Amino acid sequence: MTAPRELLDAQKPLASRWLRLSVGLGLGNGVLLILQAWLLAQVIDAVVFADATLADVSGWLGPLLLLFAVRALVAWASEQSAFRAAAQVKITLRDRLYRHIQAAGPAWMAGQRSGAIAEDLTRGIESVEAYYARYLPAMSLTALIPLAILIVVLPLDWLSALIMLVTAPLIPLFMILIGSGVERLNQQLWKELARMGAHFLDVIQGITTLKLFNASRREADVIARISDDYRASTMRVLRVAFLTSAVLELFSTLGIAIIAVFIGFRLYQLDLPIPDLIAPPEISFVTGFFILLLAPEFYLPLRNLGTHYHGRMEAIAAAERLVGVFETELPSRAEPATGFAPDGAMRVRFEGVHFSYESGRPALDGASFVIEPGQRIALVGPSGAGKSTVANLLLGFIEPEKGRLTVDGQDLAAFDIEDWRRQLAWLPQQPRLFQGTIADNIRLGLPDATDEAVQRAARRAHAAEFIEQLPRAYDAPVGERGVGLSGGQIQRIALARAFLRDARLVILDEATASLDPASEALVQKALDELARDRSMLVIAHRLSTVRDADRILVIEQGRIIESGTHEVLVQQGGHYQRMVKLLEPAAS
Amino acid sequence: MQDLMRLWRLFAPYRGWMLGGFAVALITLLANVALMAISGWFITAMAVAGAAGVAMNYFTPAAVIRGSAIARTAGRYFERLITHEATLRQLAGLRVWFYRHLEPLAPARLMAYHSGDLLTRIRSDIDALDNLYVRVMVPVLVAITAGVAFVLFTALFDLGLALLLLCTLLIAGVLLPWLGHRLGKEPGQRIVQLQADLRQAGIDGTQGLSELLVYGAADGHARHLDRISRALVAEQQRMSGISGITQAATGFTANLTLWAVLWLGIPLVHDGTLAPPQLAMLALFSLATFEAVAPLPLAFQQLESTLAAARRLFAIVDTKPAVTEPTGPSPTPRDSHIAIESVRFHYPDAERPVLDGIDLDLPAGRRVAIVGATGSGKTTLFNLLLRFWEPVSGRIRLGGEPLEAFHGEDLRERVALVSQYTHLFDASIRENLLIAAPDAPQGLLEQACETAQIHGFIAELPDGYDTWVGETGVRLSGGQARRIAIARALLRDAPILLLDEPTEGLDAVTERALMDAVQQLMVGRTVLLITHRPVALAQMDEILVLDQGRVVERGTHRELLQAPIYPRLLGLDLES
Repeated sequence: MTAPRELLDAQKPLASRWLRLSVGLGLGNGVLLILQAWLLAQVIDAVVFADATLADVSGWLGPLLLLFAVRALVAWASEQSAFRAAAQVKITLRDRLYRHIQAAGPAWMAGQRSGAIAEDLTRGIESVEAYYARYLPAMSLTALIPLAILIVVLPLDWLSALIMLVTAPLIPLFMILIGSGVERLNQQLWKELARMGAHFLDVIQGITTLKLFNASRREADVIARISDDYRASTMRVLRVAFLTSAVLELFSTLGIAIIAVFIGFRLYQLDLPIPDLIAPPEISFVTGFFILLLAPEFYLPLRNLGTHYHGRMEAIAAAERLVGVFETELPSRAEPATGFAPDGAMRVRFEGVHFSYESGRPALDGASFVIEPGQRIALVGPSGAGKSTVANLLLGFIEPEKGRLTVDGQDLAAFDIEDWRRQLAWLPQQPRLFQGTIADNIRLGLPDATDEAVQRAARRAHAAEFIEQLPRAYDAPVGERGVGLSGGQIQRIALARAFLRDARLVILDEATASLDPASEALVQKALDELARDRSMLVIAHRLSTVRDADRILVIEQGRIIESGTHEVLVQQGGHYQRMVKLLEPAAS
Repeated sequence: MQDLMRLWRLFAPYRGWMLGGFAVALITLLANVALMAISGWFITAMAVAGAAGVAMNYFTPAAVIRGSAIARTAGRYFERLITHEATLRQLAGLRVWFYRHLEPLAPARLMAYHSGDLLTRIRSDIDALDNLYVRVMVPVLVAITAGVAFVLFTALFDLGLALLLLCTLLIAGVLLPWLGHRLGKEPGQRIVQLQADLRQAGIDGTQGLSELLVYGAADGHARHLDRISRALVAEQQRMSGISGITQAATGFTANLTLWAVLWLGIPLVHDGTLAPPQLAMLALFSLATFEAVAPLPLAFQQLESTLAAARRLFAIVDTKPAVTEPTGPSPTPRDSHIAIESVRFHYPDAERPVLDGIDLDLPAGRRVAIVGATGSGKTTLFNLLLRFWEPVSGRIRLGGEPLEAFHGEDLRERVALVSQYTHLFDASIRENLLIAAPDAPQGLLEQACETAQIHGFIAELPDGYDTWVGETGVRLSGGQARRIAIARALLRDAPILLLDEPTEGLDAVTERALMDAVQQLMVGRTVLLITHRPVALAQMDEILVLDQGRVVERGTHRELLQAPIYPRLLGLDLES
């Protein structure tokens, strides 16, 4: 397993140019600061001991003013480059993450909480900003600025330099000691956050159900409890993080205080509480004041590092979840895949196909059948018999564990999957509409389709009638499960999608199940038209959709147990005949 | 401003915490400023005394320095602890507050919202409000109190210096925050919107992944998401640019103040008004005071996103539910007799009425079916009976009492619904069943599942009733999920049963078995069934044929077979 830090470090090249600039500017700012402190000490010294007038010190005050302005500018530029360093990483990482999710496919997605994934795509990625924009520059500056100050102070007063040198390493040391515990807590916190997001999405999507069962009030208590648990865990992390900062602060304050006392004592000609062996160097006021001004600046980068260390931990916790996604194995496809030849006959053959979502519960257990070109095949059987698995295999969401799925004699896995899918039109039982207009949704597979083509597809899907009655017709906004539209209407919009593509194999996964018979009859007519010269696999419960199929396959427990036309199967007196009797006693 | 006041009122229960946070923050700030100022004075005074060879009391200032160093460190720690504790408590409270307002709006008023959008509100928008407390309210109070104290302290030495400090503090504490707020307003609003868009695109792109892949739109959606991502980062960069400017300007103002103190102070030292150590002290003091105003520009720059988030929350909270709950207690209905009298209904913004004068008398125990094409108003009628919506005109009575006299909860206590779409929660099967009856014993659960033809399946699962279902749970086929939903409805044991195509999407064998179970369940209950199954229809007392919101045919199955529309709706005319 890749460590989350490795993921973060692997992105550094994206940021390095801006990072270097940011650090360079930060260091420049530090050097200017030393200069500024020196000028300031000169002014105070002159006023206090030389009784200087304004005119005497104007030679120092003028440059000081200029320095202030330059430093403001440099600080701004440094901040900007730091942001840009993170910006590039965020954009790239988010795109890569989503594309990885796509590549992992619906089979993987089915095992995930989409609320948590949405969280990773939004806040998860945002959290890495602190690592590149704050932590990494702060890290470099922590090494550089104190060093620069030390180089200046050492020749002036080795005693102060020594105090700095001794106290400084204690700070990161303590930080690491305390930080390692927080890191674990923080990763836990991030998981809790993702769980909370997923729970809220679940509640929002099921709020009507909760209401129906008068369970909403109970749910309010659950939300209160989850939010409060989250508060408690956050505070656990923060308490330690704040303690780290407090310790840091204490150390730097102590360091400054010791330096100040030692300078003050020497200026007042007092003996220092140190062994006589060490003869402390004499010190002038101007040097003493200069060093005193620099002392807080010496500790500042270290203290900043403490603040940004928290950001780093948050980034690492988020990165851990991202690593979890990135490490999902992508379904391996033979490379480079052969393009699918559109002029082939398209004979689809299942040869002893096995597949199981969970070990020990096979969904398909050696299914074999052929879809001849232009044929209309119906697949019937009880729920859970493996009908949708057949569709998932054909759509390339999953691959057979045993056995083969071939098209014109070649393994489906050998084809370019995009090319293959271009040959398909698919209508699931509960199609999804996306944020956008109705027209956008019909255009899903063909973004460049003209308005005319869209309307023609809608007419053929018998959707035009109700769409045109909507206040904004094709430009009416829809979303998610097509709020405001009935199941049948959503189904017909999805059907229009299918009409718009020139597919050669149409897969209907209980597609007409939610239509009333009248609309179903209409849609059926449209489907008949769609099926002309095309192969079609119909997964269905209703006999009206099955009856005219060229061949009916009866599936049970992952195996095809009967196969033939309606007439033949009814004559045979097997499962199919029993189903017919149950469903339509009047008709048979 | 109005939004701010409203947020202030929402924070009322936490004002004690806030006051504590304010007090500690103030102490921390004062300790820090004292530390800087006295250190400056101390060093200079020691040097002056040392050079002149005069004695001075260095114990008291040294003690003050030690004291303020400790106060600063401890103060900062407790300040952070208190403000964060307070904020997190508030946020937890606000989430429940928001949910309580959201719930009455479902489903009628939430139809227009994407769930990703609502998720953003309950998560990020509420989180965004912590800015208001930690970064705006407490710092503003501290800045005002401390600022006044600082200016008064300076006035003890020289009025001119005090005036100077007042002016520069106002620049950094008022002018720059105002500028930050103004410049940050637009990008801030756009950031909130783009974050919501991004979340929606994320949910669409994961929950709808199958469709995107099959229709070759996956790459397009990835690019769509990337576009939003880039737009968001661009706005954030604008924000970062603005905050960079205000921060640099704050630092510059602080330095400038130091410089001006020297400029004005040096002549004062020269003419003896100010002792040299006092100048050193005031110089460092003036620089340190800016710590009080330094966080304000950024806080006000982000204020707009905070307020935008607050407004998005208020938009939901202020939405009037589609149904007003009665003020008095619900009446006790005589029985479960439902009487629908010339009910008309249309959705807001819709031109055509969905129900256009429906009359239906459903005495207790009677079973009526409704048949009609998509959009004929069948499901709407159910929504009215559940009081998710209210009729535009006409009246519905339950047991002789008008429906609007009932509290939603009391009404739904008497009604069980099995619909085409039922949400299975991301929880165990048992928990999903217990939603309907929190105290039901295992035996009752199993009995309901037995009736719903799903017990056998559950019992065979390795974890039985503890099997996790929902988004991350085991894969259930559409039929299995439906049967769990049916079992859930059975557990309600309500006198009125609403069935919205309960067997839709089930295979023939299961459907038949389930219909038998539902038949048993119907005994002694008032039933309204939406279906197109002739088998089920044949057993109903009466059938209503709905078309465009009107009842066009009514009678028994046998009678209606001769009617013009009914057989066509059932697809019976095609069969022969």
